[in-house]
Amino acid sequence: MRLNRFSVFNIGKTKSPYHYFDNTLNHKIFDKVARKCYLPANNVLLDLIDQYDGKFKISFSLTGTFVEYCQKFMPEVIDSFQHLVDTGSVSLIEETYFHSLSSLYDDLDEFKDQVMMHKHLMKDLFNYSPKVFRNTEAIYDNRIAKTVSDMGYQGIITEGAKKILDWRSPNYVYKPINADLRVLLRHYSLSDDIGFRFSAQGWPGFPLTAEKYAQWIAQDQGDIINLFMDYETFGEHQWVETGIFDFLRHLPEKILSYDHLDFVTVNQAVDRFKPKDTIDVPWAISWADEDRDVSTWLGNEMQHACFRELQELGPALKKKNDPKLVDAWRKLQTSDHLYYISTKGFEDGNVHQYFSHYDNPYDGFINYMNILQDFKQSVSDENMLKN
Amino acid sequence: MKVAMIGWEYPPFKAGGLGTHCYGLTRSLADKKVHLDFYMPKTKTTASTDKPFLRIKEVGEATVFPYDRPTDKEIEGDFFNSVYRYNDLVASKVKGNYDVIHCHDWLTMKAGIQLKEKFNVPLVLSIHSTEYDRSGMLSPNQWFIDIEKEGMQKADRLIAVSNYTKQLVVDKYGIDPNKIDVVHNAVYPLGSGKKQDIVLFLGRLTIQKGPEFFLDAAKKVLDYGLKTKFVLAGSGDMLPRLINKAVDLGISKDVIFTGRLTEEEVNHIYRIANVYVMPSVSEPFGITALEAISAGTPTIVSKTTGAAEAITNCLQVDFWDVDEMANKIISLLNYNVLHKTISKEGKREIDLFTWDRVADRTLDVYREVI
Repeated sequence: MRLNRFSVFNIGKTKSPYHYFDNTLNHKIFDKVARKCYLPANNVLLDLIDQYDGKFKISFSLTGTFVEYCQKFMPEVIDSFQHLVDTGSVSLIEETYFHSLSSLYDDLDEFKDQVMMHKHLMKDLFNYSPKVFRNTEAIYDNRIAKTVSDMGYQGIITEGAKKILDWRSPNYVYKPINADLRVLLRHYSLSDDIGFRFSAQGWPGFPLTAEKYAQWIAQDQGDIINLFMDYETFGEHQWVETGIFDFLRHLPEKILSYDHLDFVTVNQAVDRFKPKDTIDVPWAISWADEDRDVSTWLGNEMQHACFRELQELGPALKKKNDPKLVDAWRKLQTSDHLYYISTKGFEDGNVHQYFSHYDNPYDGFINYMNILQDFKQSVSDENMLKN
Repeated sequence: MKVAMIGWEYPPFKAGGLGTHCYGLTRSLADKKVHLDFYMPKTKTTASTDKPFLRIKEVGEATVFPYDRPTDKEIEGDFFNSVYRYNDLVASKVKGNYDVIHCHDWLTMKAGIQLKEKFNVPLVLSIHSTEYDRSGMLSPNQWFIDIEKEGMQKADRLIAVSNYTKQLVVDKYGIDPNKIDVVHNAVYPLGSGKKQDIVLFLGRLTIQKGPEFFLDAAKKVLDYGLKTKFVLAGSGDMLPRLINKAVDLGISKDVIFTGRLTEEEVNHIYRIANVYVMPSVSEPFGITALEAISAGTPTIVSKTTGAAEAITNCLQVDFWDVDEMANKIISLLNYNVLHKTISKEGKREIDLFTWDRVADRTLDVYREVI
């Protein structure tokens, strides 16, 4: 999600918080990605489900922000997802309505509100009640696990990070040390083989064929291999010219040619497998960057300062009962805004720059912080009027 | 390896980045056991060296300096003649068996070409600035351009202080890009001091350096209600105009013109400045940005500078975009965390800009032509 350019001279002069968001750019990006990825990839998946009589299965995690963009810019994308859900071979995954870091706030009420919003959205749009939860960027710790379990979910997805597994394999279902929940751990190396390395010519696995990939999976030990990746992998991060769609088209056939392999949705996975062991995650992990923690969004003091401002606005805002302001506040919670302020080292930093529309993290900070200052004023100004 | 380097200024006497560069480069080359004779004009203060491999040779007196520009027709003839005279003098004084002749900028190019032809040794030319930069891209003087072009064509290899300058040399002078190496400048880090409410401009007060944009931004910052002084350190032909401008804008009580500062004063003001701004219209590199950052001072540079491409931890603006310049100054003053982060990260980054690296890269260039 992109913000408009906002200088200190705009602070206190904005008429509507919707002016913060660069709708033209957001529309343009969405349009491009929908044509390159969402629509063609959905068609391929629909064909595959049909072709293999429902034996090919898939799970989707769609934010409320994404759904809003679809509704506003290209409603046929929603139709296409509805078709997929109607096949019965698709699970929808719960997450926060906004792509936010609300799970890291001191108080988890806002997090729970955003999960409930998403729950209602899935019900309204797809008549679907997710059983498995995936947090923004797979951020996970014991506190989040406990909260999600208390909210009635049966499973949660996070990263199969070395630092929590040590010698153990991600190919089993685990249980949090402090809650009754099934944890599905992303197999990051097999997932990233598709997501990051598919078209990397220097990589020993190149070129990656469906046959080769199925063989790797067949040889891996364990109950389940969790492959999770950005949907934009198909057609956006990996362009159509790389052969990514052909790979996808051939994958089910190659996987199903092994007797001991089949596909499950996340719902089936938590039903089918019992936890093998417990995991204990006192400090938040995620699937981002090499560090697999939250330093991508909260790695420097500038990010912390913005995060604090944003969090502290919550209580005053909620008292006011102004849905428009609350909605803007939540859109400002999108983790992208903090991601652009990351000053992390060379290799990761390059990835950040690739996705950023700012010259550098400092510009990202100035723009975002200026907006937060304006927003803060508009919240307190109205307070004064009402008093 | 024996190198004859021909320059124009050398500390303690220096007027700009060229002198700073020659000082750092020659000392680091000498440390790498390159025999170096540095030829320069006699100045009021005698330059000296403690490096056994480096000799400073003062030849004759010059009446012009690399940043001088003839202002009216009458002295033009004298100006040009004295340049020719000095080049002939230098060419006659350089004696010995050198492997490379290395010149800096237009002032000694004529001598460099003569020596290359006389001794049949390769000529390396460093480009620290061009006539297009010095004129702020407004009505550049053809006489300088012709000299620069001839030197660039006849030199065996060119060293540009930035990709920005390399591109300019290719575009404006028609030089083959394959003949040009880019070597970014370096700095001897200053270390930081206790910050005061000062936003600093430091450089010659000429059209190239964009001081009037600095004043326009100052007006906006002060109107916004911030309490800070704006210091313009340096002298130059625009000084009277700038003083009038500050008065017209009604900000003269918050603007300080220091005139030309001594080296010690310069180092001091870098250390105590809260923000440094380099709003140059066109700047091949801009060593002052490195100096300010090495003093822990968050720095805003214009995008049309070599510094902008070389330094990650600085803020960048278009020199004409005074609203954005003011936005960034205010942000640095209002958001402590931004000031702190950029100061810290900048100081860390600046450790990479060593004269040792410049000397290594320059040696690579020598080896290409020998």
